[in-house]
Amino acid sequence: MNRLYKKAFRSRLIGFCSSLGLTLTTYMVIVYFQSLPFGKEAAVLIILLLAALQFFLQCIFFLDLWKEDGPLWNLCAFLSTLSIVVTIIVFSIWIMHHLDYNMMP
Amino acid sequence: MIESDTKVFGFWLYLMTDLILFSVLFAAFVVLHNNTFGAPDARSMFELPEALLETLVLLTSSFTCALAWLATMQRKKKASIAWFTVTFFLGAFFLSIELFEFTHLIHKEITWQKSAFLSSYFTLVGTHGLHILIGLLWMLVTIFQLALRPLLERTAHKIFRIVLFWHFLDLVWIFIFAVVYGMGILI
Repeated sequence: MNRLYKKAFRSRLIGFCSSLGLTLTTYMVIVYFQSLPFGKEAAVLIILLLAALQFFLQCIFFLDLWKEDGPLWNLCAFLSTLSIVVTIIVFSIWIMHHLDYNMMP
Repeated sequence: MIESDTKVFGFWLYLMTDLILFSVLFAAFVVLHNNTFGAPDARSMFELPEALLETLVLLTSSFTCALAWLATMQRKKKASIAWFTVTFFLGAFFLSIELFEFTHLIHKEITWQKSAFLSSYFTLVGTHGLHILIGLLWMLVTIFQLALRPLLERTAHKIFRIVLFWHFLDLVWIFIFAVVYGMGILI
């Protein structure tokens, strides 16, 4: 039993340290993006990817989302919600971008 | 340590609907963040170090909350109360930074009526802050329950839900930091 907690503690610690690293990297990219060899759009893309990576790392190491025993109900609900979320955000951006473009005088 | 428990699953479904709520607010922010209508934009009004401090405080509180859960699982009552108290104070510190930021902006006449960008900013970050406030009250109740009542199987299941809720709020904040502060300042 004790080994189980040790393992859980180690996974929390990995999650915390990696999140800390990713947050500081994001901060560095925002502050020093001018000295980076790519444009603003690429910098934004990198920030969003870092955020997504941190999101999944915390899901794995803090919530233990891939380690359920029994049927993976929590994971199924999570993934289907994620697909709705991505649909809402991506299509909002797409539609409004084209709206702005088509409404230009 | 998610247990295959219907109560946990029900609470998890609530969290997922909450995620959809936040995603709608994120979509509004992303679409509207350049419609400043003459009011200050993200570049001139955000204090990035302050946002970084908020992020680090909330991340640490998420970690201490996980430690509180591990202590609860091992039925170590004192350690659990101690870690929850640390989490509570970190959360309160986070909320006070956020409220300080809001009052600071409002004193400079930067309010939610000024532009679409500001409306979406205050709604998104304010909704998250409201969740944090509810989480803090919930945590206070949990600490009192741990201190006054025996730590039963049933209590541990209740505590697991506040732990999930608190981790969830940190997950949402990752994206607030990246999208509102990062993307808002860059483009």
